[in-house]
Amino acid sequence: MAFGPVDRATLERQKMIAQRLPTGENLLLEYLHKLERHRRGRRAVLIRLSLLQAVNRREHHVRIAAGTFEPLVKQLKGQVFTLSNCDIVFVFKETALEDVEAGVVRLRFMFSDDPVLAGAAGGEAGTFADWFLLERDYQSLLHYAQRMATEERLRRTQDLAQEAVEKAVSRPVRRGEPLTPLMLGKMEDALVRADLANMMRRQAVCAIVGHAPPQAVFHELFISIADLRETLLPNVNLASSPWLFQQLTETLDRRVLSLLNKHDDRTVAGDVSINLNVQTLLSSEFLTFDDNIKASMRGTIVLELQKVDIFADLGAYMFARDFAHDRGYRICIDGVNIESAPFVDRERLGIDLVKLVWDPLMVAGKLPNGASLEEYINRTGPSRTILCRCDTQEAIDCGQAMGVTLFQGRHVEGLIAAELRRQKGVFRRRR
Amino acid sequence: MNMPVPGAPAPEIVTQESLLLGAAERIARIRDGRIAMHIHLSLLRPQNRQEGHIRIALRMLEPMVNAYRGQMFLLGNSDIVFMLKEPNPVDVENMVFKLRALFSKDPLTYADSGDGRDHFSTMYDLETHYEGFLDLARQTVADAKKRLKAKSAGGKEMQNLDSKTLGAVLERLAAIDITRLIRRQTAIVITGQGNAVSLFQEFYVAMAELQKALAPDINLLGNRWLFQHLSQTLDLRMLDSLRAMKLTERPSTFSLNFNLATAATKSFADFEAGEAPGTQISLELSVLDILADSRGYQALRPQLRERGIGVIIDNLNALTLRLMDIRQFDADLYKISWSMEMREAEFGNAAAAALMSVPTEKLLLARCDSEDGIAWGLNQGITRFQGRHVDAMLAAYTMHHCDKAAACTLAQCIARHGVVAGPLRLECGNHAMLDSAPVMRAPKPKKRQEGL
Repeated sequence: MAFGPVDRATLERQKMIAQRLPTGENLLLEYLHKLERHRRGRRAVLIRLSLLQAVNRREHHVRIAAGTFEPLVKQLKGQVFTLSNCDIVFVFKETALEDVEAGVVRLRFMFSDDPVLAGAAGGEAGTFADWFLLERDYQSLLHYAQRMATEERLRRTQDLAQEAVEKAVSRPVRRGEPLTPLMLGKMEDALVRADLANMMRRQAVCAIVGHAPPQAVFHELFISIADLRETLLPNVNLASSPWLFQQLTETLDRRVLSLLNKHDDRTVAGDVSINLNVQTLLSSEFLTFDDNIKASMRGTIVLELQKVDIFADLGAYMFARDFAHDRGYRICIDGVNIESAPFVDRERLGIDLVKLVWDPLMVAGKLPNGASLEEYINRTGPSRTILCRCDTQEAIDCGQAMGVTLFQGRHVEGLIAAELRRQKGVFRRRR
Repeated sequence: MNMPVPGAPAPEIVTQESLLLGAAERIARIRDGRIAMHIHLSLLRPQNRQEGHIRIALRMLEPMVNAYRGQMFLLGNSDIVFMLKEPNPVDVENMVFKLRALFSKDPLTYADSGDGRDHFSTMYDLETHYEGFLDLARQTVADAKKRLKAKSAGGKEMQNLDSKTLGAVLERLAAIDITRLIRRQTAIVITGQGNAVSLFQEFYVAMAELQKALAPDINLLGNRWLFQHLSQTLDLRMLDSLRAMKLTERPSTFSLNFNLATAATKSFADFEAGEAPGTQISLELSVLDILADSRGYQALRPQLRERGIGVIIDNLNALTLRLMDIRQFDADLYKISWSMEMREAEFGNAAAAALMSVPTEKLLLARCDSEDGIAWGLNQGITRFQGRHVDAMLAAYTMHHCDKAAACTLAQCIARHGVVAGPLRLECGNHAMLDSAPVMRAPKPKKRQEGL
């Protein structure tokens, strides 16, 4: 595609679209226009995540990658833009160059198993990250941004057209289509063949005390439902039929278990948690899993049971719980939110850990029945409560104020990443 | 393997039982220091001896059986038999104790048998009690043969509901009229004067009948989550039927076994609007349903109160009472299911203690199939009851006052009370009495003994 001078009409159109939906492309373009007269002392780096294999550039990869530059953004040293093809552009002041370089090194490390980086022993290293000195390379970066914006617009138009076509012919599966038994059946069949290893995620449950950096206590192994949905039934709204979804998770848990059973690497080398159904805990798949685990390791493995599953059949739960405890596993009840907390009495249920889902409403310190949340946490045991899905610092502050020390969630991942960066920085300085 | 010859006697099928007998016979001359143990898992309640339970029990025993060079057999009735060579008696004792603890909520492990025998496990010292063990092995083979015969006569087994069959079942559900599948049952309250007055009528769908009508070869309850999904449609169909139901007089109370989600539907609002002012409508919700959507429940609770719709928590039992604080549901009524275990001091006292925190007017003892339940409830100060024994009381009272009673039996009267349409109802000559709510004499309730 050739690039002529930016004409008025194009600018107008770009502006209009930008107003409608501020995509990363448009934001970048706008920002570059503003920088036209402030190029001096500024640089940019283009991280071509689009070159990576699809499995390496899922939403959370891109998020974590962009998060690398977040501290610098906070220090007003630069701006980060995530484009719809997953590329990341970071425009920054020259003073931050070392930090940015360190960040790029970290990203290379993060994706080092990808062919693009795995083979690149120097020669091709340039393709993953492109550097721009704005004083010199402003035009080429601007062209890149324009091209991206055009392509993005084209894609959007095509999507709209596609959507219109789909609406017109009223295809059975459309965006947000509710999950039906038929689809569930297909999904269950597909799960047997699907390569779930790609969708396996780990998220740390961390002890965070005061302002000290997070200390990982164990890692939860789980299948990303978002990825799964994307791969198997992109247009289905899984939340539309909660019971069918529950059935799906049961199938999924079983698949994860057989996947773990196949792995002879050290995926399950202790200090992990896995999600299980009560029925799955009594299944032969679990017994195989149990066989493969060293006895000394079981104490470090946490089995997460959904609250719904526990209350569906308390008798079966008690049996499974006693068995798991006898084998040395620890049990965690998952999915307890502020509304269901009054029904979940950790001690009576004889459970080891409670995962409480963070909710901004918690700031008010009350449960729906008017009781104090802090008291609830005290009764549960502050060291046995995990505040999960912490997306903001507010969650951690609020949890800490109530005595909670265990946290999990995107923000916690961010804190870990920040701490890693800091340590690396220290290491480099020492060197 | 030999090819089966047509007309020849069926080949001997190798079963765990026949293997056990073989092993028992082989061991005859090397019995020294050996013991055998019979774990009577077949005597557990069905819900406590499902496949998973048995699998875990085997797993617990495995290491010990291997350690003492033993053999283990899982019989077709879920019993486990194992033999050990020169075991440390303490090990065996500990393992059986552990196993017993695992099944501790089943009466088999704690109920007093009266004869002083342990019904959970039987040990055979093969040096001294070999004959007894051999008899046992022979008996298991005979039992297995009987089971096999019964099974082949019983036809094919039902398949559990799965996501592939659910679609067809839902389609069928949309097509059939379920009015004939609707059952009603009256709950009563015993007043201070010793009168039993109708508290409400519960309307529900008879599961066995639904099963027959929808899918005779599929076990609808075989998959909990899929059945929950199915029941959402069932609720809506039931609302249609209830609106169309023709009785001599419209019930003044409806207690409905619904999903939480149903309460938020237009169908339910329409039903509510269609009933006469003053009609008392209650929703019977399950713990599972509320836990699945606690947010929805907490939001709906005040709305229902405002609309005058009662909230009943259904299907609570001794275990629920032990593991959670039911008051947190903030319901109008808690239905506790009576079970025979509650007569046992250990279970009954624990349940009674857990009930102390709930005012008696918010408690109802359900599934009172015999007088025992009512007696137990009255002892706890409970005055609200439901169950087959209550049905019988009601029918007996009806027959006593009904001018057409001479043509009927008590069983017929009970059955006709239970339906709202169909041939059973048509057989009754006095629909007015069938649909009315009488006042009966009843035993006086006792005052609750504080500080149990």
